[in-house]
Amino acid sequence: MARCGNATPAGDARGGEQPVTAGFLAMVNLQAQIDGRERYVTSGPRPAVSDEAELIELVAMRGHILGRIVDYEWALCRAEQLASNLPANDVAFLARARARGRMHRFNEALEDLDRAQRLGSDPSVVNAERAGIFQATGRYEPALAFYEAAAERRADFCPVAALATLYAERGDILAAERLFRQSRDRYRGVSPFPPAQLELQWGRMWQGQGNLHRALTRFQAAVRLVPAYAPAEGHLAEVEAALGDGGTAIARLFRLTASSDDPEYPAALARTLNEVGRLEEAVGWRDKAAVRYDEVVARHPEAFADHAAEFWLGIGGDPHRALQLATLNIGVRHTARARELVVRASAY
Amino acid sequence: MSDHASGPRAFADPVADITDMFVFPSPEEPSTLVLVMDVFPFAGTSALFSDAVDYRFRVRPAAIALGGTGPAFAFGEKEQVFSCRFAAPSERDGDGALSQVGSCTTPNGTRVSFQVNDEQGGRADGIRVFAGVRMDPFFFDGVKALQTIITRKLAFEVRGTSTMFHQNVLSIVAQLDVPTMLGVEGPMFAVVGETITTGSLRARLERYGRPEVKNFLLLPKDFDVVNRDIELRDLYNQEDAFQLSAAYGSAYRARMSANLAFWDSLDGNTDWPLDEHGAHPLTEFLLADAMVVDVSKPYAEDSYLEIERTVLRGVPHLSCGGRSLNDDAIDTFMTLLVNGGEGPRVSDGVDQATVPASRMFPYLSSPERNPPAPKAPAIVAR
Repeated sequence: MARCGNATPAGDARGGEQPVTAGFLAMVNLQAQIDGRERYVTSGPRPAVSDEAELIELVAMRGHILGRIVDYEWALCRAEQLASNLPANDVAFLARARARGRMHRFNEALEDLDRAQRLGSDPSVVNAERAGIFQATGRYEPALAFYEAAAERRADFCPVAALATLYAERGDILAAERLFRQSRDRYRGVSPFPPAQLELQWGRMWQGQGNLHRALTRFQAAVRLVPAYAPAEGHLAEVEAALGDGGTAIARLFRLTASSDDPEYPAALARTLNEVGRLEEAVGWRDKAAVRYDEVVARHPEAFADHAAEFWLGIGGDPHRALQLATLNIGVRHTARARELVVRASAY
Repeated sequence: MSDHASGPRAFADPVADITDMFVFPSPEEPSTLVLVMDVFPFAGTSALFSDAVDYRFRVRPAAIALGGTGPAFAFGEKEQVFSCRFAAPSERDGDGALSQVGSCTTPNGTRVSFQVNDEQGGRADGIRVFAGVRMDPFFFDGVKALQTIITRKLAFEVRGTSTMFHQNVLSIVAQLDVPTMLGVEGPMFAVVGETITTGSLRARLERYGRPEVKNFLLLPKDFDVVNRDIELRDLYNQEDAFQLSAAYGSAYRARMSANLAFWDSLDGNTDWPLDEHGAHPLTEFLLADAMVVDVSKPYAEDSYLEIERTVLRGVPHLSCGGRSLNDDAIDTFMTLLVNGGEGPRVSDGVDQATVPASRMFPYLSSPERNPPAPKAPAIVAR
């Protein structure tokens, strides 16, 4: 979870919610940060590699919040250029590792991290990045060891949030629930992004457990914090539809298809329209999602194999293609979810 | 840089990151005192203030403390707080542009409202306030300063390049009528700028007393043999400037003394010998981290640290102290650290901001809306 802003003297935890910047205002300021940093990088007196790396992270952050693949692609492209132009600079390789990790190019990202460390990056920073990749690829033990050590040193928002998410992925729901609460209560910043990200992960845990009402509460909290938060809106729509509120879900997904270029949302819209009997509209959105999945899988197969497999397995109606993608996905990350996806795809 | 990105927390959320503070008698209206707080380094022109942050100035009477190398000032207990808050923006009728309203509450309960980016600001009895995007008035060759720390040699050139040229910040300018707002106290006041959360439990996010205390004296770790691996700036930011807690005091002192000794060494002479415990003579002086101004003295463009320096010499001060927008404060500070203010001026080779500040409210220059034409990125190693 990037940009935690969570420095808290040990033992200075606070309970309950505290005001954070309105999500809408925070988005305006995220754009203002990007504009200012871009101006500095392109025309400032002495832009440093760290300025370029900062710009890359800000644009990727916008991509995450708004569900804009184009931002991730831009960030990857700039990071590739940076590392290519500066083969002896650790910051450049750290930036490329992050960008590649976001696109699920985990092995290449790990190589970049090794190189960044050899070139002088702070080992604790590099190890934090490694832990994120280990977690994403299902190597929970080394990730857990890192997060526990970090939380031991300083049990504030960021390391506790990381631990909570890891426990949730491992299926230790009781421990995860306790850690999610602890993390939320220890947040001391005013940016709404970190707590919104926490609520999203928390909601995903309950959604995965089939507890839709708890998931709904968490996704609603995330959207209250940042109304434009596309992943939270997407999950919220899924839960609303599953709870029988297809109309609200469809309205939400229509908005998302306008603001995001991620095929996840036209696919979800097609699925939901299909479920409520609006079959003709569903076909139209299914076709749009199919075209877009083909585009993004062709460009970034590792990043989209998982969701594309789900799509072809479901509303996309092509289990053979789903199996190919699920197989590709399990080669990228050997998680329980990836295994389960292969099993489901193989069943056809 | 002055206080730009002065810690991981500030870096994480620039809307609460105080980059600078200036305190000076108005050149336009001599009976008034101007307080300026800048936040949000490298702001785009659409930047707005957070609705979850209280941007405030704390003002206390200050008196010169007697003797030794302890704090130069005794701060009075009576505190006056000027607190500025902002609403979430709304869309303006007609053009759909965003509009933000702010208000500043004074110690006597006066409340002045204003529109963000309105150069006229808002007025009430004894106070006028502006808030909005302005060009960053700070000027300093931050890259060469970093190089100085890394190479352990003064790396500045005759003609330096300011890291902040053509960059913008969010500014709050509060102009106070001294008799109305500060009463009969004074004529010396200590001012601290703070960003704090607006919840029922107020958490201090950042504070600012003097430029470069955090980035010069607390950030570099290599000279500190006591706590070489600890980032102290977030902790320091959370402290009450007028009442430093004992919990981390030793850590701040060790780090500051070590870094002050490094700066002193740069001309090859020891102008500030450490005491038997390794304490630098300026450590306590600078830990009293507030900006002191004498409102009985007229506006001066280059009076930063003048009061402190005269205290060190044991002579009366002649200027208002504080810090004006055009003051080359960092040269003054570096000269004090490197040669005790007794040798040649230590300069970073940058003597003014992109556009010098005006002598009229709101003093800071209009924001940079048309930056120089983009060129191919000339990226230099960190």
